Amino acid sequence: MWAHIAFWVCAVGSVVTGVAVFRVDSMARATFALLASFVFAAGTVLLLNLAYLGVLVILMMIMEMVVMVVFMIMYMMNPAGLMPMTMVHNQKGSLAIAGAVFAALAAGIFLIPWPTSGEPRPEDTTRALGEALMGSKMLVMMVLGLCLFATMVATVVLAAHRGRYDRYGDRLDAKRPHDPVRGGLNR
Amino acid sequence: MILQQFLLLAAALFSVGLYGALSQQSIVMIMMGLELMANAVIVAASAYWYFASPSRPDGQVVVVVALVLMAVDMAIGFAVTTAIFRRRDVDMTDSAADLKG
Amino acid sequence: MTLWLLIALPFLAGTALLVSGHRADRLAPWAGIATAAVTAVLAIVAAVSAPEVSMPFLAGLRIGLGVDGLSAVMVVTVAVVLVAVLVFAAGEFGAAESRARFHGLMLVFAGAMLVTVTARDLIVLLMAWEVVGACSYALIGFWWREERRAGSGVVAFLTTRAGDLGLYLAAGAALAGGVGGLTLAGLPAAAGGWRDAVAAGLVLAALGKSAQLPFSFWLSRAMDGPSPVSALLHSATMVAAGAYLLLRVEPLLAVTGWAATATAWIGVLTALVLGAIAVAQRDLKQVLAASTCSQIGFMVLAAGTGGVAAGTGQLVAHAATKSLLFLGAGAWLVALDTKDLARLKGAARRFPVLGSVFTVGALTLAGIPPLSIWVTKDAVLASALAGSPALYVVGLAAALLSGAYVGRVLAVLWLPAEPDAVRPLNAWLLGPLPVLALAATVLGIVGLPGPARWFATLLGAAEVPETSWLELVVSGALAIAGALAAASWTRAEKLAAPGLFAGWLGLERLTRLVVVTPTVRLADGLARFDDRVVDGGVRAAAATAGALARLTDLRVEWSIEGAVRAVARAARSLGRQAPRPQTGQLHHYYAQAAVGLGVLVLLLIVL
Repeated sequence: MWAHIAFWVCAVGSVVTGVAVFRVDSMARATFALLASFVFAAGTVLLLNLAYLGVLVILMMIMEMVVMVVFMIMYMMNPAGLMPMTMVHNQKGSLAIAGAVFAALAAGIFLIPWPTSGEPRPEDTTRALGEALMGSKMLVMMVLGLCLFATMVATVVLAAHRGRYDRYGDRLDAKRPHDPVRGGLNR
Repeated sequence: MILQQFLLLAAALFSVGLYGALSQQSIVMIMMGLELMANAVIVAASAYWYFASPSRPDGQVVVVVALVLMAVDMAIGFAVTTAIFRRRDVDMTDSAADLKG
Repeated sequence: MTLWLLIALPFLAGTALLVSGHRADRLAPWAGIATAAVTAVLAIVAAVSAPEVSMPFLAGLRIGLGVDGLSAVMVVTVAVVLVAVLVFAAGEFGAAESRARFHGLMLVFAGAMLVTVTARDLIVLLMAWEVVGACSYALIGFWWREERRAGSGVVAFLTTRAGDLGLYLAAGAALAGGVGGLTLAGLPAAAGGWRDAVAAGLVLAALGKSAQLPFSFWLSRAMDGPSPVSALLHSATMVAAGAYLLLRVEPLLAVTGWAATATAWIGVLTALVLGAIAVAQRDLKQVLAASTCSQIGFMVLAAGTGGVAAGTGQLVAHAATKSLLFLGAGAWLVALDTKDLARLKGAARRFPVLGSVFTVGALTLAGIPPLSIWVTKDAVLASALAGSPALYVVGLAAALLSGAYVGRVLAVLWLPAEPDAVRPLNAWLLGPLPVLALAATVLGIVGLPGPARWFATLLGAAEVPETSWLELVVSGALAIAGALAAASWTRAEKLAAPGLFAGWLGLERLTRLVVVTPTVRLADGLARFDDRVVDGGVRAAAATAGALARLTDLRVEWSIEGAVRAVARAARSLGRQAPRPQTGQLHHYYAQAAVGLGVLVLLLIVL
């Protein structure tokens, strides 16, 4: 009973705050609306007895949103939302596509005979996840790790202002580095 | 609690995220839309695991993957934004029309 | 062997000269005379040995040549006259003339003539006949640069060729009538109706070639050729070939009753009418031409009445006489540059040798006793009498007229001379004449009973009717009377006024009107038909094809091309549309991806 109510509260909240992300004027508010959406979604996950994953989502999202706030304010025009503005393109088309997709998915959800399983649910889902990741799903772990590593490298490469190639040319064959300040910064 | 209501939630979140990804001009806002879509995937995967195959941990692994994906895409997205901002001093996708034609 | 050599030698020599052209001009007279001399020797040998040869021609058909009595006489005649004429020609033609062509043609003609008189069957005869006609054309038109002379050659050739159709008809009829191998000896054995056709054809051909009525006009035109040509072809040999043919097939004529009668009457009428024409001529060569037709009329009469020996005798005597006379006329032509009788006044006085020899020949021609033609003509008249008295009477009248024209000519020639420019006559020109005169005089001995019988046996002829002394006296007296009368009239300056006879009875004009003009008109009409209808049909077909092609090009091609172009246009516009999704805008790409994925998923579910 309570689970039902909790579920619906979380669900509605998640969707509403999700919509709010795109409706508010301030970037900061948008970020935190997104955070709220995630938290509500995590709440529904928690209702499914996935304690570890729910908590993980909440924690991760908090960190992410905070980082995002910083970037938002760095890059965007109207960080505090002092001016009302919407910067959208192709709004009608997007609405149409989104609406069509929702309709299709909803139709699918209610029409498809989903399989049910009578299997017993595990007692400790966290333990089961851990054993899987360290055992039969080790490959997934490794790939994820590599993926993260690649991401780190990629972001550094993309975000670095000036690298070796800027300083020494495309073939690294310049005799002296090209620096705005002779000798380079932070040598 | 039945599977369909979770899936409905996931579909709704997905649609909202899609609308955002398609309509927003700013890169960061587009990324927020993508995050919402990944969020929908997380909810749907969890529901599937709970209702369709709870004895196997595969559903949880999918959730983990979706989480990592969210993190990764956020990181890369910001790196790209930084790079393009440094180069052209813009953060609107409309200006990045180099692939035109 | 002798026979092959006899035939081949003049042919090869003549062809070689013709082919060499102007290069051989200096050599030609010598080559010609030498060849003629050798041919004469060979002819005498052949006449004595009487060989016969044959060779296969078509499947199962052999053709052959052979020298029997009649052929022997002819062969010797042809060869001897050839020698005389070529010697004369060596003197007449200067360095500027085409001597190689002349001698070449003369030799080829001689070869063909020898084949004609030795032919055993119609096929060889026909081939040689045609060659003779062709050589005659080439020789009459020898100075072809003068249009009248070339035209004369054409008239002569076409007229004789028209007559030659008779030979083709005869050959076809003989083939149909079942004459084995088409031999001349076997012709009387042809089946009934075909035999008549054969006879008719042969008579027609002979009349054409011998310039009898109504074909006589071509001989008048043939006088446009050089004098040696007139001497050889148109007195002694070619025109005599018709008479020879009739003499050869006399058995056939006798068997086909009507043919003999018709031949005899045509012959004697020709002799009479052409004699009258000869009296009326103003040109010496024309007189001689008319006289030739007249004398050959006698030969034809002989053939019609069965007097083969008489006809042959007349032929030989006439050959010697007429060739002599023509060569004499040619000599005066070279010396005085005229053949008009009015301008030849007194020519015999100025050139005594030539004049005396010419006179001998002329008197022989008139039939004055005791010269050869008196004897032979009388033999002919005897056989005519045996045929029918009417023929005899007309023949006597013709003999009177022959005396008349000779008398006229001689009177003019022996009139007191008027001094005029002369060219000297060289030995070449005068040399052969006395020999011919001698032959003309002496050949009369065949009229004597002994030689006459030998001659008849040689020719294989039937018993010759004896000529009585009365007939001989009558014909001789008539000839003399005619000559004297004409001579006195001429002296009295009453030269015959030009009239119908002077114009050769207008035969040429008549022929042109009746035969030539309709033929040409018909040809024109046929040509027009060909151009309009036949050619028009072809052109119409071509035009139709062209029109169809244009139509196809305009309508069909256009629509096909239009279709092709439409396809190309569609492809091009599709190509232009293709880059439009690539806007470079991220959100467009997202939207396209979303829609595309949605469609794929639906497809996946539906299918």
